[in-house]
Amino acid sequence: MRFSSKIDTLFLDPHSEYSAVDNKVNIILSPSLYWVKKQALPLKYVRDVKKLLPSIFEDTLPEGNYSYSAYKVEDEFYLFAYEDKLIIETLAQKGIPMSNVANVYFAQSELQNISGAVKINETQSIYVKDEMVVLVPCCWIEESGDLDLSAIKLSSHKISLAQFSHIVDNKSLYKIGAVLVALILLVATEFFITRQKVQYISELKDEVFVKNNLQSTMFQNKSMLKKYKNIHTKQTKLREYSSYILALRLKENEKMTQLSFKNKTLIAIFSGVKENNSSHIISSLKSKGVKFKTSFKDDILEVEMVL
Amino acid sequence: MNRINPIYLGGLLLVVLMLFIFKLSSAKDELSEVKESYKTTAKLSTELSGLKDVYSQKSKTQKALQRVLRLASLRSADLKQKTKKSGVVISSESMDINALNSFMGKMLNGAYNITSLKIKRLSDEKVSLNVEIKW
Repeated sequence: MRFSSKIDTLFLDPHSEYSAVDNKVNIILSPSLYWVKKQALPLKYVRDVKKLLPSIFEDTLPEGNYSYSAYKVEDEFYLFAYEDKLIIETLAQKGIPMSNVANVYFAQSELQNISGAVKINETQSIYVKDEMVVLVPCCWIEESGDLDLSAIKLSSHKISLAQFSHIVDNKSLYKIGAVLVALILLVATEFFITRQKVQYISELKDEVFVKNNLQSTMFQNKSMLKKYKNIHTKQTKLREYSSYILALRLKENEKMTQLSFKNKTLIAIFSGVKENNSSHIISSLKSKGVKFKTSFKDDILEVEMVL
Repeated sequence: MNRINPIYLGGLLLVVLMLFIFKLSSAKDELSEVKESYKTTAKLSTELSGLKDVYSQKSKTQKALQRVLRLASLRSADLKQKTKKSGVVISSESMDINALNSFMGKMLNGAYNITSLKIKRLSDEKVSLNVEIKW
């Protein structure tokens, strides 16, 4: 059963056959795909009624995962329970892709004004009794017309199908969504704080450069530091080795005649030192762990130390 | 169906979350690098400033040397001073041992960049001296 309009309207029934659907369609659900109650409730707004729907249907529905809907006509509420999964599976069985479904309506809201019985498949008809659209076997009613949806103006009582409601219910989805949003906010905040820290430390680093009058690149600064460290090491060793030389206890007739330093080499020359009697000088320097070379010539001892 | 599927929204949120986690991870790595770089720079800066302050302060070195050369114990030493662009050479043809001890004590205990030194004994009481200091 297919009817032409801007968007076609289909009456979805598990026992009907359909040709391939390539365009967007509105779906009117057969009464076999939902449960409906008409009740007068001491409530004013539909949103308040929706909160009570699970408990209103609690004793009526078989085991399953239901979604609920309601609308108000005068002082009475039409209450609906339906299984998204069952409707989606029926759509799939009939070759109607979900992406082609524009809106979904209940037969109750859209077909309330049909006159007499209307045949919807080979074995079943629908007709309106006490303002309720009900499904009955064809044999109950002898004269049934065909369903004509071309003249029907669709109401605003449409529903949205939750494709994964049988896996995760809406409440859980909202909770998961809220957790994800909270995590995003947390991570995003941490990210922005970290970026600010990076910027702050970069500025501090620039300040260090300016404050200490450093060269523009670290390579230049490292090179300068190396140069000054070498100077410092050399000067420290010069003072250390000089103190060793000046602290030597020389024997009578032994004299230091020269002390010189150039190109990393410290040279001390002693006169009056016998080659076979110079152990006190050599052992004293050795005890300091200093590397040195000695040479003798005519009772003159030359001690050479490389810094 | 016009309504956006919650699963798609969830997927989008997950993608956004993963994106932020990735960005955060990169930012943390960058922060770690910047911190390390700052520490290195601060340490280098402190060392370099300290060493430059000791060995590369021309006016400071000159003032300190003038104070040494004005010492009463060195008046008899006849110390000569020859200032160059890169340093100063101090020399004496003949100075007594006490003056040498006083002078060398100041030189070796002060922060001078001594690049060359020559002390030669002339007699039991006299020595010649030549010392070059750079800045």
